This record gives sequence, C-alpha cells and structure tokens, in this order.
Amino acid sequence: MRVSLLLLVAAAAFAQTDPRSTCGGCHEAQVRTQPKTAMGIGIEFPPDQAALKAHPNLAFERDGYRYTIERQGDHSVYSVTDGKDTLSLPIRYAFGTHMQTYVFEYEGKLYESMVSYFPRLQDLAVTLGDERRHPRTIVEAMGRETANAEITACFECHGTGGVRDGKLALDSLRPGLDCEHCHTGATAHAQSMTKGGAAPPPKSLTRLDAEDISHFCGKCHRTWEEIVANRQFGVSNARFQPYRLANSKCFLGNDRRIACTACHDPHTDPPASEAAYDRSCKACHGVDQKSCTVAKENCTTCHMPKIRRTDTPAVFTDHQIRIAKSGEYPN
Amino acid sequence: MRSVWLLGIVCVVLSAADDFDSLAARATAAREAGNAQEAVNFYRQALQLKPGWAEGWWYLGMAAYDDDAYPACREAFGKFLELEPKSAPAGALLGLCEYETGAYREALGHLTAARTSVGGLPPEVEQVARFHHGLLLTAAGRFDEATRELRPLIPKAPGNPVLLTAVGLDALQLPLLPKDVPASLAPAAAAAGETAALWVSGDAAKTTAAFQDLLARFNSAPGVHAFYATYLLGEAKPQDAVRELRTEIGLNPRNARARALLALVLERLGDVSEALPLAAKAAADAPDLPRAQYAYGLTLLDTGETARAIPLLEAAGRAEPGQLEYHTAIARAYSKAGRYEDARRERRASIELARNPDAR
Repeated sequence: MRVSLLLLVAAAAFAQTDPRSTCGGCHEAQVRTQPKTAMGIGIEFPPDQAALKAHPNLAFERDGYRYTIERQGDHSVYSVTDGKDTLSLPIRYAFGTHMQTYVFEYEGKLYESMVSYFPRLQDLAVTLGDERRHPRTIVEAMGRETANAEITACFECHGTGGVRDGKLALDSLRPGLDCEHCHTGATAHAQSMTKGGAAPPPKSLTRLDAEDISHFCGKCHRTWEEIVANRQFGVSNARFQPYRLANSKCFLGNDRRIACTACHDPHTDPPASEAAYDRSCKACHGVDQKSCTVAKENCTTCHMPKIRRTDTPAVFTDHQIRIAKSGEYPN
Repeated sequence: MRSVWLLGIVCVVLSAADDFDSLAARATAAREAGNAQEAVNFYRQALQLKPGWAEGWWYLGMAAYDDDAYPACREAFGKFLELEPKSAPAGALLGLCEYETGAYREALGHLTAARTSVGGLPPEVEQVARFHHGLLLTAAGRFDEATRELRPLIPKAPGNPVLLTAVGLDALQLPLLPKDVPASLAPAAAAAGETAALWVSGDAAKTTAAFQDLLARFNSAPGVHAFYATYLLGEAKPQDAVRELRTEIGLNPRNARARALLALVLERLGDVSEALPLAAKAAADAPDLPRAQYAYGLTLLDTGETARAIPLLEAAGRAEPGQLEYHTAIARAYSKAGRYEDARRERRASIELARNPDAR
C-alpha cells in the first residue's frame, strides 16, 4: 500500500510542467541538451530509473550481508539480508548518474543506501563515503539515516522544487536542475516574455570571474571554504573540484580562463576526450606549449591525473592542476 | 693579610649557604608535616637569602593560594614566572590569584596563555583555570571562546548553580561575571544555563521543551531569542533561526551580534541583498566586534565590492586570528582581487589553521 502511494506521489510530481520547455522557445540549444546531462537528470523517480531497468537483478555482499536490487514492475526493491532477517524497501529516489545512490523511507525517515550502482562496474559496490562503515545491525546494513540538513542539501542540488523555505517539500520535487536553479529570475523572465511583456533577463553568469564561478558551482560541488571548514583533507576530497582547482598553482581568481566554465559547459556533459580540454590549457600556456617537454596535447592526462582508490571503484579527475608525481596527493 | 680576608669572605658565603639550605630543608619538612604557617615563614626567610629560588616561590604561592591569601599568592607566582616564564601551571595560578584580587584584564591574559600553552595544564589546575577563563571571556564579550571553555565543564559539575549562571550569561551573550548579574537578569541567566546544559546532554526532546519554557518565561529578556536561534542553526533550521533573530533585534535593536549573525545566516541562504544592510549596520554599531566586520566584509565580497571587503575581513582576522572562516574569506577576497601571492599564502594559512586549530 505504501509503495503504491509513493509511486503515485512520484508520478504526480514528474507530471508537472518542466519550466525548461518554456525557456526553450529562445534558448533552444541549451534546453535541448541540458535535460540529458548529469545535472539535468539529477534524480530519477522509480519508473525512470534507467540503470535499474537495464540491470533488473543486482546483488552484492559485504560484512556478512547480502544486498539485492530487483526490478518489480515500474519500481525497484532494495533488500538486505543477514541470512536470518531481511529488510526490503522500495527505492524512492535514485540520485546521480555517474554513481547512483538510492534513497528510501524507513519508519518515517529517509535513508541513504549502503550500496550504490557504479556504471564503470555495471554493478553494485559500497556507497562512496561509507567505506569505513561496518554495520552491526540489519538496519545499519541497509543504509544510513540522513540528517535533516544533509538530505535537504541532496534534494536541493539534485532536483528542483523539493525544498521550500529550507524544508523538504517532496510533493513538488522535479528531477534535475531547471533553468531557475542557476539563473535566478529565469522563470519570471520566461513567463513575462511568453505573455509579450518585458522582463530583465537573469544575471549573466558568463561574466563572473573564476573565483565567483567556483563559489557558485561550489554551492553543490562544495566550495574551497567549505572543504577547509569541514577539514576534509586527504584523497577523499578529490571529488570536490572547486577545492582542488583553487589549490592549483595556476588558479587566478580574477581570470575567467581558469573558471569552471572555461572547460565545462553546464548545458552539456563534459567531453570524454582528454584532447577536448587542450584548448583551455592553451588559452594561457600558448599554442606551442613550450613549457612542456613531454607532450603537446592531452595536457590533462598528466596534469589532472585520475584518482583511483583501493576502497571504492569511484574514479575522479583531480582538478588540482600540477606537475603530478606518482603516489603524491598534495592538499 | 690578604688570605685572612679571603678566608673571611668564604666563611660568610658558606654560612649563608648553610643558612639557606637549613631554612629550605625546614620549610620542606614543615610543609610535608602539614604545618602551613611555619612552612611559609621558613620559605620567606629562605627566599630573602636566595630570591632566585624558583621552588621556594612556587611553594610560597601554593601555600598562599590554599590560604586564600591572593595578594601574596599573586606576588609569589609573579616572581616564579620571572624565573620560569614558560610554566603554564604557574601562569594559570597567577591568573586565578589575579582574578580573586579583581585584576581581571591581567587574569584573562595569564589564563589565556596558560590554556593555550603547548604542554597544557595538569588536571587539578585545568578545570578551575578553564572555568575562570570562561568567566573572564564572557565578561570580555568573547562569547564563542567562552562557550568552548564553559560547556565542556557542565557534565563534570552537574547542577552547579554558579557554573550554570556562567553558562547562561555566555548563552545570552551578556558580558558580565556571575557575581555582577543584576537581580532582574539572574533568573533568565540561570534558566538559560539549565537549557544549555540540556543541550549539551544531547537530549533533543528535553532541550526543545527547555527552550520553549525559556521563551515563555523570559520572552523579552536580552539574548533569549538569539540563543534559541543558535540552537536552531545547530539543528539545521536556518529559516526558523532567521525568525528568532528578527525577534531578538526587534526587542533589542542595539544587539549588533544578533544583527551580524542574522546577516551571516541570510548570506548563507543566498539572500545577500537583505544581508548586506544588516551587516553594514552591525559593523557600524560595533566597530570593535570582529564578527560584525566579517559579516559586512563577506556580504560586500558577495556583491562584488572586493576592495571595500578586504580591509574589513583583514581587521576581523587580526582581531580573532583563530577564526578559520575569516581567513578563508580573506583568501577568497585576495583571489578575486587578483592578489595571487596573498591568496596563495592565505589559503595555505587557512589549511594549516584547519589542520592545527591551536596553532594561532
């Protein structure tokens, strides 16, 4: 019964009009690509959980617990068992695309799944950040009860309309980030324009310098200040790009050539090719790149190494641009 | 003839040494036998012969402290520190004696130095030093530091009324010593202390009930709504904290701390346009309040007024060098201003401070 109600709520939310369609009248290119990006998707509701649809039977074992995720009709069920007891819950939300972590409700609280789906493995593994958690009960094995501030931030960064006045409002949650999320005033602008009126466009983000863009993107990807304040030192901070980038020797806060947006168009997914980023490097280091004696292309291959850890299949591109030395992780 | 003179001098010196050794031994024996007054007399005589005898000043100071003879205690530990300037226990005891003689400024200096010393304090001195340090920090308006000193003491002295009043004064941000609290504020301070004690205990239900009771009984008392706002912020309820801070400012329009905090909460919520004038007023009303300068600097930084932000942030950082967020904001400001080397230096300093909070 609870499953049905949850699915109804989710379906109703998804059926709401996506404001991006309005913006597409003028900003066609952005609106065509952005909803398909990781930020555009953000969260998947049960009927649309692509990875789980593609892999209807997933299983994983750790610490004496066996985890399964099984597709049942238009939703997936997350189960954990220790051989004696079993907990099974419908997955309410699938967060992320590069790694996918699941959120479900248990006794009125929202829990983050102990295991996540990793596309690189096409399989389940321990959720990033939970590597050192070793559950003692089946509830702990199932996942981690989320604190109010934490889960609110999750929905704020992965969806739209799910947080109102600082509190969860999941009845109005829509997946992904719509235009208003980054472009404050976009909705009013669009509504006015469609009625033939005039409304000032949202503030242009392209004019922000590197420091401001890092701070802006860092609201979800974590700012340099936040990582320092939370004392998140060590290799685990490789996932927080604004922090790593700001520690780069070549980071100039008032120079747009090193801003996040110099390499990343937020309306498209980042290109997979290393060569695609050479243009950004050459914007400062010149076309000939005389300073580099090793190579003239694919700069990021050496200067932004991939960070692989032994305790998680997750791989991150280190945004601390540097002459990288093997085994070294400056921070 | 010369040899006679020399012999005389040697005899006098030996005699003095003999007297000193004898007096020191008798002082030790009296102290160990529990004859405090006799020990003090011998220590005084011995120190007249040998004023550089650090051990003598130490025991003289301890005897005076045990006897509540604070001026004498202050003199003894002062002399001891001249001989052993790095002794944190002596600094703490000097601070305690200064506190008892009403020399609060000096006491705060010595207790702060002792509490932040590399070697720390022995347990028998640590708690009493921490308590008095907390009192003096509160009276000096350094509430964040006072909170860190006082609240860990609550589980160690449950129900202690003086401690609870001290914690309450800190919670309500009233720059007073417990002995100076006017009768009109004493019940609110005590109730705030009891509420803070529940908060420290981690009992969420009892803490919430205690706050509701505090608000009902002392709704217009200074600091009550701001105190509740800090609790709400800890509970990740910033919107509710904003409401309480607005109430606090409505009741106490001159509360620059509450106004600065409100500006910072609004800034964190992304409402910089509302935060900016609040921060500006807080900074103008309290030019010596680092948090107000920081709030104004931060909101100016957010609105692109980097050049105006930098001196405010720098001033806050100089006043409270241990506040990490001041330094991270300065780093951002330098970075935005294109001050590459300064930004790099401040980033390194911030990371170092985050790794070693006691380094500054």
